[in-house]
Amino acid sequence: MSLFALGLFTSPLAIVVMLSVVIGLLMILLFGYTSDQKAIGIAKDQLKAHLLAVRLYRDQLHVVMGSYGKVLRGTGRYLKLAFKPLLYVIIPITLLIVQLDRSLGLTAIQTNKPFLLTARVNNPQALDSISIDLPPEITASAPPVHVAADNEVVWRLVASQPGAYEARINAGGPNATEAVTKTVRVSSELARVSPERLRDHFWARMFSSGESALPDNSAVESISVDYPERNIPLGFAGYEMNWIWLFFILSMIAGFIFKELLGIQV
Amino acid sequence: MSRLCGGKSVRVASVFLLIAVVLSPAVAHAYAGPGAGFAVLSSFWAIFVAFLYSFYALMTWPFRQLFRFLRRRNAYGKAIFERAVILGFDGMDPELAERFMNEGRLPNLAKLRDRGTFSKLRTTFPAISPVAWSTFLTGVNPGKHNIYDFLACDRNHYLPYLSSAEIKGPKRHIKIGKYSIPFGKTEIKAMRKGTPFWHWLGKAGIFSSVIRVPVTFPPEKFQGVLLSGMCVPDLKGSQGTFCLCTTRSASDKFREGGVRVPVERKNGVCHSYVPGPDNPLAETAGHELRVKYEVRPEPAANQARFSVGSEKFTLKVGEYSEWLPIEFKAGLGFNAHGICRFYLKEVSPEVEVYVTPVNIDPGHPDLPISHPVTYSIYLAKLYGAFATLGLAEDTWALNEHVLDDDAFLAQAYGNHHDREQMLFDALEKTQQGLCTCVFDTTDRIQHMFWRYFAEDHPAARDVPKAERREVIQDLYQRMDKLIGRVMEKIDDKTLLMVISDHGFKSFARCMNLNAWLHQNGYLALKDGKTESGDWFEDVDWSRTRAYTMGLNGLYLNLKGREKQGTVDPSEAAALKEEIKQKLNGLVDPASGTVGITGVFITGNVYRGPYTDNAPDILVGYGAGYRASWDSVMGKVTAKIFEDNLKAWSGDHCIDPRLVPGVLFSSHKFIEEKPAIVDVAPTILKLFGLSLPSHFDGKPWDLAPQALATKTPEPAVAPAT
Repeated sequence: MSLFALGLFTSPLAIVVMLSVVIGLLMILLFGYTSDQKAIGIAKDQLKAHLLAVRLYRDQLHVVMGSYGKVLRGTGRYLKLAFKPLLYVIIPITLLIVQLDRSLGLTAIQTNKPFLLTARVNNPQALDSISIDLPPEITASAPPVHVAADNEVVWRLVASQPGAYEARINAGGPNATEAVTKTVRVSSELARVSPERLRDHFWARMFSSGESALPDNSAVESISVDYPERNIPLGFAGYEMNWIWLFFILSMIAGFIFKELLGIQV
Repeated sequence: MSRLCGGKSVRVASVFLLIAVVLSPAVAHAYAGPGAGFAVLSSFWAIFVAFLYSFYALMTWPFRQLFRFLRRRNAYGKAIFERAVILGFDGMDPELAERFMNEGRLPNLAKLRDRGTFSKLRTTFPAISPVAWSTFLTGVNPGKHNIYDFLACDRNHYLPYLSSAEIKGPKRHIKIGKYSIPFGKTEIKAMRKGTPFWHWLGKAGIFSSVIRVPVTFPPEKFQGVLLSGMCVPDLKGSQGTFCLCTTRSASDKFREGGVRVPVERKNGVCHSYVPGPDNPLAETAGHELRVKYEVRPEPAANQARFSVGSEKFTLKVGEYSEWLPIEFKAGLGFNAHGICRFYLKEVSPEVEVYVTPVNIDPGHPDLPISHPVTYSIYLAKLYGAFATLGLAEDTWALNEHVLDDDAFLAQAYGNHHDREQMLFDALEKTQQGLCTCVFDTTDRIQHMFWRYFAEDHPAARDVPKAERREVIQDLYQRMDKLIGRVMEKIDDKTLLMVISDHGFKSFARCMNLNAWLHQNGYLALKDGKTESGDWFEDVDWSRTRAYTMGLNGLYLNLKGREKQGTVDPSEAAALKEEIKQKLNGLVDPASGTVGITGVFITGNVYRGPYTDNAPDILVGYGAGYRASWDSVMGKVTAKIFEDNLKAWSGDHCIDPRLVPGVLFSSHKFIEEKPAIVDVAPTILKLFGLSLPSHFDGKPWDLAPQALATKTPEPAVAPAT
């Protein structure tokens, strides 16, 4: 990402704060432009009115129960009104979050720390002939483990140098021409990672893979690297938080401030 | 076709993408930005809070009922009706009602007349709304509730003040730099004394919904909900100050109720402002807060685009905006919240915009206008902003030709529509107890359109008969339809009463009573003066024995009471009798008709602890006459009688015997001469409560057949 390349934001916390504010503003603006503001205002006001009615007429059970029913109906109406802008908002923001999650949700492999690389094949026989070719900067720290029940082979690896490396999986034995690769990113800084490489499952690849599809005729169905999850230090009392929760809280706060400033009904 | 196909595939792809996004289980996909996040969170919050409230209400309801039962036994145990619905139609005239009923125009009122009660309802002395409604709600004569007019007289300064409430800002201020920060609360003192009868109902556990009954500002605590009516001020603290924003230059001021504000044109954009209250942070008075706005005239389309704060809207000429919230910012976070409507009068060649008086925002009330405070907020949230000003229909603007007939009617019926909504909500919510609502529309429209109704009114002599609109007939028919809709909502356990505080008569001739007092030697002017400006500007008090202020009251300049009193208390009775003899039967020389049909010495009319605050004499004008506006405002003119050329052409501030109100009820009462003072005791009696000893009214008895059959007839459609 250009911002990373520019080196303006190297702290994940700063990036999340900046993104939350910008996205909070953009999403509020988008919500304002794509929603029926007047109808939302009326729906919210009526909800408040029915809530007040429960208090004002608390000794009159028919009013209390009737108002509760109206609150439920009013909530449905309000959600219905919020659904249209939701349609506009949900696709870009979901795609954006998925992309950001690859940089902010996981950390790259650290040098000299073991990690697992798992290959899944489509038939048990292929397990017998599967092998891995590693670049010189990555070495296997233990023999591969075959998990026959899951058609999986797991390698325990260690990287010695930062960088992006290709691990080559040979599914047809040492002399086979069929080989597929998986990128392994080794870095101590913020880096965009792809935890899994998949065959042609478009939606699954969209949400969890950042790499091209594995060939359809390959015996290998998927290759994954267990990048550790990233928790962002909040800078006080040792608290850490997953970036998405932090983004959720901060963008809500930013959205709340911007909706008040811009006079947008949400 | 290919474009269509392309569009279709994009739509299909979008739908699939959306479904994938929504159904995908990853945590990242559960959040769709702050907008949707707020929607979801606030929905759950609303449901949660509603559930908590309802659960609490449900769980505690048996205990509360038990507590009430133990304390007061069954509140409705002795009640003849479970519910009483009282509709107040301010100024509905019994003679007109009878005439229109006989013409078949008012079928629902006729139904009430035939099955229940129709009668004249004796009004108060004087027949002025705040006086009569105060008597209605307290069950006592004005000597016990202290309201004698809209205005009361400050005897030290010979100046008027609002009779119903006194609003005082905080006493202490802290000075910081250029600001003088008020410290403490605004004091609102009710000047009306006496206890509203719904207070007694509440004490017995009977719930009341009270909407827009006059002289209920400031609202008092009781068991029920109340929205204050007549006498609620606007945000400036006045009884309604409209604003005409205009590019026309004019130096003259409006005589009544309005201000002229310049509109400045610059590059095709007009800039003006809405004047607001005085800045509470200013050290001295007179620093008016303002909200600026822009108008972009589009003469070709006969419209203009408005920009008021964050609100942007377009109005055609002759069109009103909705109620718009406006915030006057004083600084340091001190804001005043109001609402107003804009009316586009003209876009070419000049630009003119009428702005209603800035009403207190019911959704954000800076002064309490309801009990509990949340009731006005509830109504504003449920139906949108509504007029809160006591005299919300801008009669002054029509009088001053700032509004025309259509614009005034649109405004009046707009307010009326809002109150109908409130009434029907109260009817739905108040299945047991009292539900009362007063509609002012009847009063305002009769005041302003009697000129078309009367045969030869000076204010409409130039209007051919064929062009005179049947505004008053239409008004009565609208009210009848309202009755019909109310009748559909009530059952045999409900008593429906329709009452008015007074009737109506033509106001064709004005009488300046101060001029009469001057010409008859009771009021003296300063040397060399033949007339006096407003509020007795040129009156020589050292030689004045009597003066008048307000609509019917005449005051002696009494030693020891007035600051410059001249009349010895021992001579007061004789002087009052002398003035009474001279005024009673006074003939208008121009027409030969009697201009004053009754003069009443208040000591003989009122009894109670506040009679000293009353005027000394009440003047009862004859039909067709009333005090001139000049006289009301303490001005002395050369002429005593004059034609009334204003749109304000009907009135009731005359001899109270000539303008009784109406009484309709769904069940028949046995009472030959019912009076408005009887309503409170009657309602208490019907709910089985004992009457407070200070009541002046007498409860009416239900006819035996009314007790036996308490089923009101269904509503019928009005004749067309």
